[in-house]
Amino acid sequence: MSRNPDHPETARAPEAPHQRFPGDAAEGSVPFSFEAQILALLPQLRRYSRSLTRSAAESEDLLQDCVEKALISRSQWRGSNFKAWAYRIMTNLHLNTRRASGRRPVVALDEAENAPVITREDDPLERSRLTGALETLPSDARAVLMLVVVEGYAYQEVADMLDIPIGTVMSRLSRARHALREKMREENVIPLRRPK
Amino acid sequence: MNENRPVSEAELHAYVDGFLGEEDSARVEAHLAANPDLAGMVADWQAQSAGLQAAFAGAATPKENDIRLISDIVAKASKRPASQPRHRLALAASAILVFGLGLAAGHYGPKIFEAPQIELTATEILPREARDAFLIYASEVRHPVEVFANEEAHLATWLGKKLSVANLKVPNLQTLGFRLVGGRLLPVDGRPGAMFMYEDGSGQRITVLVARNAENRTTSFRFASADEIETFYWIDGDLGYAVTGEISRDMLQKIAEECYRQFPS
Repeated sequence: MSRNPDHPETARAPEAPHQRFPGDAAEGSVPFSFEAQILALLPQLRRYSRSLTRSAAESEDLLQDCVEKALISRSQWRGSNFKAWAYRIMTNLHLNTRRASGRRPVVALDEAENAPVITREDDPLERSRLTGALETLPSDARAVLMLVVVEGYAYQEVADMLDIPIGTVMSRLSRARHALREKMREENVIPLRRPK
Repeated sequence: MNENRPVSEAELHAYVDGFLGEEDSARVEAHLAANPDLAGMVADWQAQSAGLQAAFAGAATPKENDIRLISDIVAKASKRPASQPRHRLALAASAILVFGLGLAAGHYGPKIFEAPQIELTATEILPREARDAFLIYASEVRHPVEVFANEEAHLATWLGKKLSVANLKVPNLQTLGFRLVGGRLLPVDGRPGAMFMYEDGSGQRITVLVARNAENRTTSFRFASADEIETFYWIDGDLGYAVTGEISRDMLQKIAEECYRQFPS
């Protein structure tokens, strides 16, 4: 599996200074303190938590829970691949709470309108339709899609991170993509969505 | 050109995600050129990816209070007592929940009508109740258990008494990376059962259920799976055991074997 240079993780070179962790960096680099590693990783964790949740507030809650959990369990970190470990914690926390709320996807229209941060000249309507469609995905499939597409992980890396077979990674990815496409097509022509 | 050679869906994903080499990419592209429907689907997937990357790129930003976020949590963690106080209200709530489960267990009906099928029923009920217990309690953030791991000895005696098992042992799964969270009493098929919960360093939880079995018999390991939640269960004499989690079957089997080794037969 060779990496495409356009793939997000490699293409995002300009904002890469946060990526120096013992697990990722060359051997012999100076180890950071545990807190400093988390601090450096916060922006990426924030992006991941935002991509899993419905609102910025929910995303910050998940981020805080994740940091807390990582600090409490610091003794359990095996000294390599800190980033994957933190992502795994966040994924588990998120799936645990989503299971508790009964796996029902809820679309909050107001949230869908103001959630995405627009960084390109993309059509804002398409953008909000896409993030709205995300809310209909099962949480586990959504997490895999985000890890692959937004966070740039390879399939095997996701399998290792979440301790699931690679076949499960592929089936969740497939489920997410088909469902998203279905949703986008069925809503291809939409009337005014805002009652205001 | 071998565009007629079938291209798997996994390859289409790998193509969209940029994981294919030049040769395979070319083969997929030839295949797509000959299959407009597939090409449309792949184009939609690519648009999804571009849209999602654009939508969340802006979220990867540091914030002013990031340092405080971490220092507050560190301060909070150092102040917290080892065991969290259990509130009366929470106890009441879990009592209601357990009572509710008992009622739910009641719908399996009067045993008198099922007597001929009791063998089948026992092995069916165990994995189902194990799965329900996992779904209900593993997602519980504050009150996943009634008695926390810091009172492990009490937990073992208390549940042992309820199940009428002398020297009930709480399995130690540290070697597999799972530490005890605690345990609770819950009804399994209308009788008292014990649930132990464990958690690994990443917050992944598994549960171990011990239940009274109607008759004295023994089964081999059996396996049940539903919605990616896996359960290993077995009956050993007059006790039934089930290990449940949303983890790989290999890992769960190791845990089940470790429990089997530790539970006295």
